Amino acid sequence: MAELFTMALAAILINNVVLSKFLGVCPFLGVSKNSKSAVGMGLAVIFVIFGASLITYALYYGILVPLNIEFMQLITFILVIATFVQFVEMFIKKYSASLYKSLGIYLPLITTNCVVLFVAKDNITQGYNLVETMVNSIAYPLGFMLVLYLFSCLRERLDSADTLPSWKGNPIALVTAALMALAFSGFVGIV
Amino acid sequence: MWNNFKNGFIKENPVFGLYLGLCSSLAISTSVNNAIGMGACVTIVLILSNCIVSLIRKITPSEIRIPVYIVVIASLVTVVEMVVHAFMSELYTSLGVFLSLIVVNCIILGRAEAFASKNGVVASAVDGLGMGLGYTFALLLISVVRELVSTAGITIVNPFNSTQVLFSFTIGALEPFKISLFSSSVGAFLTFACFAAFFAWLKNKPNKKEAK
Amino acid sequence: MSNNIIYAVIFFVIMSGFYCIGYYFNHKTPKPKGCENLKESCDGCKITSCMNHPVHDMEGENKDA
Repeated sequence: MAELFTMALAAILINNVVLSKFLGVCPFLGVSKNSKSAVGMGLAVIFVIFGASLITYALYYGILVPLNIEFMQLITFILVIATFVQFVEMFIKKYSASLYKSLGIYLPLITTNCVVLFVAKDNITQGYNLVETMVNSIAYPLGFMLVLYLFSCLRERLDSADTLPSWKGNPIALVTAALMALAFSGFVGIV
Repeated sequence: MWNNFKNGFIKENPVFGLYLGLCSSLAISTSVNNAIGMGACVTIVLILSNCIVSLIRKITPSEIRIPVYIVVIASLVTVVEMVVHAFMSELYTSLGVFLSLIVVNCIILGRAEAFASKNGVVASAVDGLGMGLGYTFALLLISVVRELVSTAGITIVNPFNSTQVLFSFTIGALEPFKISLFSSSVGAFLTFACFAAFFAWLKNKPNKKEAK
Repeated sequence: MSNNIIYAVIFFVIMSGFYCIGYYFNHKTPKPKGCENLKESCDGCKITSCMNHPVHDMEGENKDA
């Protein structure tokens, strides 16, 4: 149990997807303009990563390994992620209009989010078992959501700050991200 | 066509201008060596995917064209990954997961949809080459700065045989001022921010002249 | 070895079939009331691989019209 907790903590803070693994930087800059969309995106990412990781895990050990076609890993994973997103969107559309209203616009963005593919692959390359896979595929997107939310709060203030014209927008946001990465590198010692 | 090709470098540089493909360009730019390898892989995938998408653009039903593009790109990346694994195992280990993450690189699907699905094969191939080289150029710029600052020198090795050093130099004067932080994520974000600001400045300069 | 490749091809076809079906039906499903214009609430980042990006609209809209 303690090991799982350490693993989750390491995935959230130390190996943070955005700040130390550089994954999902595109949505990190794109969707962080206000904190409401950051939370929506974060929740959608958590849900999709959790579901897609479980399916890819089952497919990898249930079909790819017995048939000896592990080289299909990448194609399978990207197709599973894309299919999963389509079905999730369809079900949300049909059964919960309010959920669709808040998460709907982020779902199409997730299909090509590198974090999803990375977590699915990471579970396999690290040789995790089912429980570890579940912990891992919740912890990584949680780290993503945490950083996305913090960053969006910073960014709301950055917009009103007086910066040089060529640094406005994304460049100054990247400097802020660098400072956040510096702060997060302080967590390295805790586990 | 030449303009398309040139646009990829400065005005519409996929990395600095459009902020696409950031993940890999930040992570891979620790050394010039990796940057060249990654740039070459992305360029090859881009050219091939643009060609294929443009070839099948008339027979793809438009309702399912995005799934088709994703399948095409994923297959191409798998092939490239296998080739790199077989012949350049050193590069394969240092690029790691980012080699397979080319699949979700925003540049590739974006170009397939924005350009290749509406233009002929040759134009698409040239567009792919231009965008790919623009990406490589951006990676090179970041990686040169990062490798110089963090190790005070640059080393390029033969991708097929990692013991053979093709090109290497160190600047002795910089040796005492090495900042190893620049090989970590902090340096990546900082270097990138400086370049992004510089390119934004470059982009806005001619506009001012026109206004006057 | 050749068996592997046959399995791989069959598996690939099934997977992509699933995806195409999912994609097709998802786009057939009408959007719930009040959510028709969700795209407009998107500020528009530059991620072209996002399906909300205007790049993806051109052909689809012509078909509908």
